[in-house]
Amino acid sequence: MSLQSASQSSSSSVLQIASTEDESELGASASQSASQLSSEPLPAVSPLGGTNLKVFLSTFLTIFLAELGDKTQLTTLLLAAKSHAPWIVFAGAGTALVITSLLGVWLGCWLARRISAKTLETAAGVLLLLISAQLFWEVFHL
Amino acid sequence: MDWHLLGVSFVMVFVSELGDKSQLAAIALSGSSKSLKAIFLGTSAALLLASFLGVLLGEGISQLLPMAWVKGIAATGFAIMGLKLLLSQFELAAICDPETPAESP
Repeated sequence: MSLQSASQSSSSSVLQIASTEDESELGASASQSASQLSSEPLPAVSPLGGTNLKVFLSTFLTIFLAELGDKTQLTTLLLAAKSHAPWIVFAGAGTALVITSLLGVWLGCWLARRISAKTLETAAGVLLLLISAQLFWEVFHL
Repeated sequence: MDWHLLGVSFVMVFVSELGDKSQLAAIALSGSSKSLKAIFLGTSAALLLASFLGVLLGEGISQLLPMAWVKGIAATGFAIMGLKLLLSQFELAAICDPETPAESP
């Protein structure tokens, strides 16, 4: 993990040039560093630079779009088409999806108590970029 | 109530979703955010809606939507979130923040 984050921090300086054109993003990260330096964490503000609603919306939109046409959705639609009982399939699939996302949030929370915030945020950033790369790969190999 | 079908769809989705990208995204986002409730609600609402549409529309969904664009937008969203996290680290380490109250009278 430390090797990954080390190689990523060297490439993030290159990537920074690409994002300087976005003023709002820079402002958000500047206010974030200000709140960390003054050691008075603002309530309901995440390192992703948003309020609860912003976090909800960005999480919802990215995961929803990523899951459209994904293998989980294909599994549910095949089961629903084969069984002619779509509501039972939806009940089973829905319970499974809520439990897996609960497990994901719980694991992230568990890691946050054991790993330093800096390491975890770097790892999370790398992980999100890997997910993005996987999706881009799918786009060009559809 | 077809308990067998309920169990089969639960197990199939549960197994295929473990360690999948949306769960990894939930881990990454919740580890670096304080609003866990928003992450959990956002993730489960997105997954529920996606599987609801899958059940409702069946195979038609891949014809209704340009999947390359949909996945491209999602990939861009994940890239922006990842870059935001990495850049917040980078700026803290490298640049002295000009808005620190040390110089204010």
